[in-house]
Amino acid sequence: MIQVIIDSLIRASELALIGVGLTMVYDILRFASFAHVQFGTIGAFVALSISLLLPVPPVLAIAVGAVAACAITGLLGILCDRLIFARLRDRAAAILMIASFGLGMVMQYGVQAIWGAGPRSFPLPLTRPWVFFDARLSPTGAAVIVVAVLIMLAFHLVLTRTHLGVAMRATADNQPLAESSGIFTERIIRIVWFIGAALGALGGIMLGLVAQLQANMGFEIMVAVFAAAILGGIGNVYGAVLGAAVVGFAENIGLVINWAPIANLLGLTSSSHVYIPVGFKMGIPFTILILILLFRPRGLLGRHA
Amino acid sequence: MLDFLIYLLTVVGIYGMVSLSLSFQFGRTGLVNFGQVAFFMVGAYFSSIATAILGLPVGLGFIIAIIAGGLLGALMALPIGDLRQDYWAIATLAAAELIRIVFLNVNLGSDYVGAAYGITNIPGPFREYFTTTTYGYFYLGLVAVCVVAAFLILSWVGRTPYGRLLKGIRESDEVARALGKDVRVARIHALSIGGAVAGAAGSLYAHFVGFIDPQFFMPIETFLIWAMIIMGGPGNPVGALVGTLVVQVIYNSTRFIQFASEYASTMAALRMVLIGVLILLVILYLPQGLVPERRRRYGARPSGKGSANTGGGHAA
Repeated sequence: MIQVIIDSLIRASELALIGVGLTMVYDILRFASFAHVQFGTIGAFVALSISLLLPVPPVLAIAVGAVAACAITGLLGILCDRLIFARLRDRAAAILMIASFGLGMVMQYGVQAIWGAGPRSFPLPLTRPWVFFDARLSPTGAAVIVVAVLIMLAFHLVLTRTHLGVAMRATADNQPLAESSGIFTERIIRIVWFIGAALGALGGIMLGLVAQLQANMGFEIMVAVFAAAILGGIGNVYGAVLGAAVVGFAENIGLVINWAPIANLLGLTSSSHVYIPVGFKMGIPFTILILILLFRPRGLLGRHA
Repeated sequence: MLDFLIYLLTVVGIYGMVSLSLSFQFGRTGLVNFGQVAFFMVGAYFSSIATAILGLPVGLGFIIAIIAGGLLGALMALPIGDLRQDYWAIATLAAAELIRIVFLNVNLGSDYVGAAYGITNIPGPFREYFTTTTYGYFYLGLVAVCVVAAFLILSWVGRTPYGRLLKGIRESDEVARALGKDVRVARIHALSIGGAVAGAAGSLYAHFVGFIDPQFFMPIETFLIWAMIIMGGPGNPVGALVGTLVVQVIYNSTRFIQFASEYASTMAALRMVLIGVLILLVILYLPQGLVPERRRRYGARPSGKGSANTGGGHAA
C-alpha cells in the first residue's frame, strides 16, 4: 500500500508540473495548448544532451543539465508565443488549438529527427532503493517528489507575494483592465510562457529520470495532463495540482483494486479476482475525464463554466 | 510508376473521404474533433471483423462500418454536446486513444487475431473477377464513386436548412440557441454524419490494404487529416480534397528520394515536421486555405467595409 502511495506521489509530481504550465497558458490566453506536453519532451532531451556533455559526476551533470534545459525550454516557450500565438491573438480558440496541435507535432517529430525514435536514459548511477516496510523508494523518486513540492511552494509564493504574481493574476482575470492599470500584459504573457514551458520541461525531465526518454513521451501523457487540469478546473493553478494528485493516485490505485465485488454486483462476471489489465492504465485518466465532463465540466475548483 | 500513381490516387480518395467528413464537422459545424482517426479505425475494424473473422460479405461489412462510425459519433458527442470546443478537442483526442488501446489489448476470436497482431487476410470486394493490375483500377474506380457520393451527400446536407443551422452553430452557438435551436442535438448529428463517412472510408481502407493493426491508427493520422483540411481550406469541401492531395503527395514524396536506410526514421520525422510547419504557415498567412470558402451573399452588396474580398475572414 505504501508502494502505491509512493508511486502515486511521483506520478502526481510529474503531472502537476506539466499541468500547471498548461493551465496557466489557458488562464491567460483562453485556449488549450496541445503543444504544451511537448515542452516536457524537449526539456528532457536537452537536459540529457547537456548532462552527457559535462565532465562532472553524473548526478551533478544531470542537475546542471536540468536547470539549463528548463531555462532553454522557457525561452523556447517565449519564441513559440512570439512566432505563432502572438500573431493569432484575435483568432478563434479553435484556430489556436489547431495551431498548437501543429506546433506540438513539429516539436515531437523535431525531437525524433534530432535524437532518434528509440528510448534513451539519463546516465544515473545505480543506487540501492530505500526499503521501509514492504515499499521501495529510489533516491531519484524521492528527489522528484521533494523538488516538485519545493517548486510548487515557490510558485505559490510568487503568485501571492510578488508584484509579478499579482500582475499575472490580474492579466488572467481581465486583460483590458490590467492593461489600463499600467500592466504591460504582453510582457506578462511572455513570462507566463517562460514559466509554463520551464515547469513543463522540469516535469518531462522527471518523467525521463523515473522511466525513460522517448520522442513520444509527451504525447503519451497528454490525456493524463489534460484530465488533471480539467479535473482541477482548467485555468486554476491550484486545481491543476489537486487534479494531478487525484489522477496520479487513481492511476495507481485503480490497478491494485480488486474490482470483483462491483463486477459481481453488475453481473459482469462471477470471478473473485477482477483487475484492470496494465494495458488499460491509460483508460483511467480518460474515465476521469469523461466523468468530469459529464457531471462538472468546470472542474473541482474552476471558475469558467 | 503507373502502379504507384494508381495507389496514390486510391489513398488520396480514401483520405479524401475522411477529410470531407472532418471538413463537414469542423468547417461547417465548427466541431474541433481531434479524434477523427477513431471513426476511420472503427470503420476499418468493424468491416474487417465482419468479413475476415465472421465471414460476412464485403458489402455488408461496408454497411456495418458506416453504422459503426455513425454510432461512435453519437456516442462520443453525447457527454460533450453542450460544452465548449476546448473540451471537444480533448475529449475526442482521448476517446480515439482509448479506442485504439482497446483494439491493441483485446484479442478477436483466437489467440493471434486482433490485439497487436492485427487482422490479416481481409478480403477485397469482387477480387476474383480481376487480375492484380486491373484490380487496382477497379478499386480506384470504387473509391472514386464513394468519394463523389460522400461529396454530394455532405454538400446536399450543407445546402438544406439543417446545413445552415450547422453553419450558424459554427459562427455562434449562442445565436442558434437564442433562435430556439437545439445546439446539442445538432452537434451530435454532425459528428455522427461525419463519423459515418469516415467509417465508410475506414472500410475501404481495410479492404484495400488487406491487413490492419492498431499501429495504423495513431493520433498522427488525425493530425494529417487536419493538415489536409487546414491547407485546402476548412470551409470548402473542394478544399478538403485539394488539401488531401497536397498532403499525401508530400507524405509519399520521400519514396523517390534516395537516402541511406539508417536515415529512414529521421526522414520520416522530418516529413512530419515539414507538414506541421506548413500547417502553421497556412494558419498564419493563408487563413482561408488554398480554396477559400464560398460565402453566399444576401441582398444588396454592402458598400465600403466588409465587401466580398474581405468577407468573413475573421468571422470564424
